[in-house]
Amino acid sequence: MRAIVVGVGAVGARAARQLLALGPLDDLAVIDPDTARREAVVGSLGRPVSVGSDLESVLATVRGPSTSVVLTGPPGNHRALAELALEAGASVVSASDSAADVAGLLELDDVARSRNLSVVAGAGFSPGLSCVLAAYAARSFERVDEIHVARVGVGGPACARQHQEASRGRAQEWADGGWVTRRPGSGRLLCWFPDPVGGLDCYRGDFAEPLLLAPAFPGVQRVTSRYGARRRDRLAARVPHLTRPLPEGELGALRVEVAGAQGLTRDERVLGAIDRPAVAAGAVAALAARWAVDGRFSRPGAAGLASLVEPGPFLAVLAERGVKVAVFEGAAA
Amino acid sequence: MKRRALLAMALAGVAAAVVRLRGGKAASPQRGGWRELTGPDLR
Repeated sequence: MRAIVVGVGAVGARAARQLLALGPLDDLAVIDPDTARREAVVGSLGRPVSVGSDLESVLATVRGPSTSVVLTGPPGNHRALAELALEAGASVVSASDSAADVAGLLELDDVARSRNLSVVAGAGFSPGLSCVLAAYAARSFERVDEIHVARVGVGGPACARQHQEASRGRAQEWADGGWVTRRPGSGRLLCWFPDPVGGLDCYRGDFAEPLLLAPAFPGVQRVTSRYGARRRDRLAARVPHLTRPLPEGELGALRVEVAGAQGLTRDERVLGAIDRPAVAAGAVAALAARWAVDGRFSRPGAAGLASLVEPGPFLAVLAERGVKVAVFEGAAA
Repeated sequence: MKRRALLAMALAGVAAAVVRLRGGKAASPQRGGWRELTGPDLR
């Protein structure tokens, strides 16, 4: 397997390390325009890797079947980079949480299918791990009616900026078989995350989960995504960052609630995770890249992880890599 | 008189904003809890 990691910030550096830990690699290349950061990551990997400053030049030497390109750079150009990678015969895994990036990547479905390659959109913490949790919860039902995702926390600085943009953007939700647009910051809902995050008010924003989960579960009636924020976070979201975001982000959490029917019984299942978003996102992206090359996806083409992976085994490997998930048992959370 | 009223309203606004922003801790769920998914669950 050959792997190219594009963007070695908080998520990309983790993805590179996880790729080395997940199995033998014939070649690993890291790409980042920031030379100092790139060299620091290369030095920490403990083995020789190829380096480059742009994907096109690296693809000229690292290419061919069994190649995965992992896009972990700032959002905005993931579709263009994915097109370059597909052209070179490589599968693509994008950790972008931008709804625009995800929509653009999903449009590459026909191209990817025609080349028998995969494009995984939203392979990070949220979306990403959230989609796998939804797929895992959905196994309990014959029919999935509703999926509600809530998340809190960000990865590195690029993720923090994207999160701020998303919290100000109009939310696209799937409701009664169609897309509806909601006002950003509306729909306040108290959600319970695993400890120590606990209860937090969550609000609508321009997040990508509905784009990935609605097509993954035909017949689903509602798919929503919210972010958890304290009131002062919501005020701060309206002004530019006054200080540079933390390089690593803080502890994050996920909560995925799936409602459906099993026979005549209607029930719901709530799953959660708690981790540093960049750490979990790096592990998810690396594992998706590995599975793309190993042919473990259910089909070629462009989709989210909920459509592509068998969730139990995927979560089992993530657990071995330190990314743990939990189920809420008892009264409604 | 008018200035005093305005001052009082401003102080009340500041106090309300502080209370609103600080918030309170939400009540915990009454029953249930989180259980980590391990080996047998992840098949």
